[in-house]
Amino acid sequence: MRTLLTLLLAAGAYAAPPSKIFPYGYDQHDFPNGLRLITIPTDFPNIVSFYTVVSVGSRHEVEPGKSGFAHFFEHIMFRGTKRFPPQKWEAVMKAAGAATNAYTSDDLTVYHATFDKEGLESIIDLEADRFQNLEYSENAFRTEALAVNGEYNKNSSEPANQLVEKLRDTAFDRHTYKHTTMGFLADIKDMPNQYEYSKQFFNRFYRPENVTLVIVGDVDQKQVRSMVEKYWGPWKKGAVKPQIPVEPPQTVERKAHVDWPTPTLPWMMIGYKVPAFTENMRDSAALDLIASLAIGQNSPLYKQLVIEEQKNDVLSGGYQNHADPYLFIVYSRVKKDADMPAVQDAIISTLNGFKDTLVDSKRLEAVKSNLRYSFALGLDNSEAIAANLAGFIALTRTPETLNQVYDLYASLTPEDLRDVARKYFVASGRTVATLAHKKEAK
Amino acid sequence: MRALVLLFSALALQAMEVVTLPGQSPIINFRFVFRCGSLNDLKGKEGTAALTAAMLARGGSQSMPYSDIIEKFFPMAASVGDQTDQEMLTISGVTHVDNLEAYYSTLRDMLLKPGWRPEDLKRLRDDQLTSLRVSLRQQNDEELGKEVLYNILLGTAHPNGTVSSLEKLTLADLQAFYKQHLTQANLTIALAGKYPEGFAERVKKDFSQLPAGKPSAVKRPAPKAIPQTRVTIVKKQTRAVAFSLGFPIPVNRSHPDFPALLVANTWFGPHRSSGGNLYQRMREIRGLNYGDYSYIEYFPRGMFQFEPDPNLARRQQIFQMWIRPVEPQTAHFTLRLALHELERLVEKGLTESDFEDTRSFLSRGVNLLLKTKANELGYRIDSQFYGIGEYPEYIKNAVAKLTVEDVNKAVKKHLRKDRLEIVAVAEDAEGLQKALLSDAPSPMTYNSPKLADILEEDKLVSTRKLGLKPAQVRIVPVDRIFQ
Repeated sequence: MRTLLTLLLAAGAYAAPPSKIFPYGYDQHDFPNGLRLITIPTDFPNIVSFYTVVSVGSRHEVEPGKSGFAHFFEHIMFRGTKRFPPQKWEAVMKAAGAATNAYTSDDLTVYHATFDKEGLESIIDLEADRFQNLEYSENAFRTEALAVNGEYNKNSSEPANQLVEKLRDTAFDRHTYKHTTMGFLADIKDMPNQYEYSKQFFNRFYRPENVTLVIVGDVDQKQVRSMVEKYWGPWKKGAVKPQIPVEPPQTVERKAHVDWPTPTLPWMMIGYKVPAFTENMRDSAALDLIASLAIGQNSPLYKQLVIEEQKNDVLSGGYQNHADPYLFIVYSRVKKDADMPAVQDAIISTLNGFKDTLVDSKRLEAVKSNLRYSFALGLDNSEAIAANLAGFIALTRTPETLNQVYDLYASLTPEDLRDVARKYFVASGRTVATLAHKKEAK
Repeated sequence: MRALVLLFSALALQAMEVVTLPGQSPIINFRFVFRCGSLNDLKGKEGTAALTAAMLARGGSQSMPYSDIIEKFFPMAASVGDQTDQEMLTISGVTHVDNLEAYYSTLRDMLLKPGWRPEDLKRLRDDQLTSLRVSLRQQNDEELGKEVLYNILLGTAHPNGTVSSLEKLTLADLQAFYKQHLTQANLTIALAGKYPEGFAERVKKDFSQLPAGKPSAVKRPAPKAIPQTRVTIVKKQTRAVAFSLGFPIPVNRSHPDFPALLVANTWFGPHRSSGGNLYQRMREIRGLNYGDYSYIEYFPRGMFQFEPDPNLARRQQIFQMWIRPVEPQTAHFTLRLALHELERLVEKGLTESDFEDTRSFLSRGVNLLLKTKANELGYRIDSQFYGIGEYPEYIKNAVAKLTVEDVNKAVKKHLRKDRLEIVAVAEDAEGLQKALLSDAPSPMTYNSPKLADILEEDKLVSTRKLGLKPAQVRIVPVDRIFQ
């Protein structure tokens, strides 16, 4: 904790030289099979968070008809092994008082458990076993497919989910980011029939080279390393690199609309094509700053649309770190249909404004300060530390990336932001997707 | 960090209470918890408490319009939040110790000298209306079902009020509520982190400017008895059918049977956990939906979070089962299965090994609820409300003394398989109503072979009689809900 305090005092003084934002010391170790272990001891007592970060997500779903599969596979991972059938797996987790779950996104699948430190070895063993020896019957597989369908159903009354699906489908032609992590409904309906494919998916992608273990909390680094070596060491390497289609450059602005059958406030999502996170990290960092300056809570546009004119009740979004080029998205929920065009103009002209007008350096410093303090305030327990890291780990497999990103934030100037805005906020890279209640629609 | 717990001190005042958790963390947490809430809303003015809290946390102070407050907090990444429930109104805040002075002086003015600006009222009223009209009625069938269930069982409005009441609320209504209920008598202040010496005393002194007031707690009459099972089908356009069902229970954290009932519920339907019996029988074996859980305490927003928020303490709780959306053609079977599982819980209870496993899980897992300082503060205040010791210790000590017989006795005493309120959210409400009234068999088919004992059980479940009469199954259009 002392480190954190020192660093943040430096962050408080805007002129201070860049210092490492991630305040915890960590041990990063690569095993011969390609598995990486990151251990982060903290002084939050008794509790350990264990995150298994698999750098595989819906981006890997290259075959037609297989959208949603990475997420489906996350469910299958809970269907057990010979040694630990599901009920036994549950029993071990329960004995450690564990809270456990998993999630999937475009570029990652994360399995996580937070538990009493006494349970550490048994959980390292348990998790190593399912990643190496997963075994499930076709019956269990078909039943689990129904639970995924249930998940689609429970999400389906939220219009924002449907509009993101539409935005991506419109903005991308070839890349797998065309579909959401949930997948297309037709593919979900067909999942029960994909048992053989699921085994292929596991063999291809669930390999140590794609996996980073992040263990945070009341732990001893040496002990953790030897436990992981014992249980995860025998795992065989052999990951297959997916042939992910390259998205051709977008040449004209695209538009799409969803008619929504039940009453809702209208939504608008405006996306601009932007580079992959690691392709040009300086640009990615600049886009984060622009997002905050343009549509953040303290931005003139937010104050205008949400606080003063009260045309919007949601204005958010920005750049999201991705393995391949994705979108800078502005999410906007508007109170009246009639205001949609004005809101669209206001958002686009605000982003265009960054191309001509240099941002005020005081506002820029305020954003940098906000980002550093937001990060620091988010590290209030071991689980939060692991969760904050997971997204970066999936892309670069090291917490050091966090330090790099915050150093980049610190180094960026108003001129840098202008140049980045000129590069990416172009009409030919833009997709505008809207959704509104259509009364006569059934 | 362990030392922090020992440093804890509750400086009980005559009225206002201060709870402190001084420590080495540079993150400073504030909680201002008032023992008042939507139960104090006047008839026809439902939503007053929640809108008052919103005006304090998301509106301007006398000296600063809200946009200036955002401007000031922004470089600090500091924030203020609000949560209003039936009996507690909470304003929470967090800042880094570097910015404590600037943050606190603003927060203090927001709470002690609110701006009461009409433009803030307009914006925040819109937000609250949207939360009922759009978020609840249209976008989240599960939360809708749960809130309708509470509404029917307890006869209380949603903490955010109703559409018609919100439309009428004036600044004067909010000011009157503020004056009457946001008083020293109702307030507990809680602080955690590395704040300077004397800071807690200063905060206490500042908040002594609030009127002394009188406790706002209103009488909580016992809920009306449910003479027979009733079904309410909320009709709206939607893909699937969601269920919530339950009945009031006389047990809250202060009740001697709470730990026993907690063990039973943690075995039966722990929130968002794949280890629960209900989840195993309904989702894992049969693939009916995404999950099935049960509750003995109010847990709003469960679809977005794994742990409940603190400071939702209520004297009156319900037992509730949450059946996540199912395909319409399996809705009748699903409801029958949920009732079958409830009956098994009530009649058979837990086995010795279920009990031991669950007790061991609870004794360790309860620590996770307090993983943040904000939660630790919140739980401490809840424990004061219920008059129990520190929550994890209370639970650990209590479950250590339990036997499986104690647990099953508490189940038999407080839970039941009949006289339920059932809420369904469905598009083909008439079809569901007809099916339920007909009591016709609802045979289940699967996309894969099932074990013989499951098929046997299905036979039993699919012909289970509900014995409902037409007057017991009503249909309510969604736009009448929370109107």
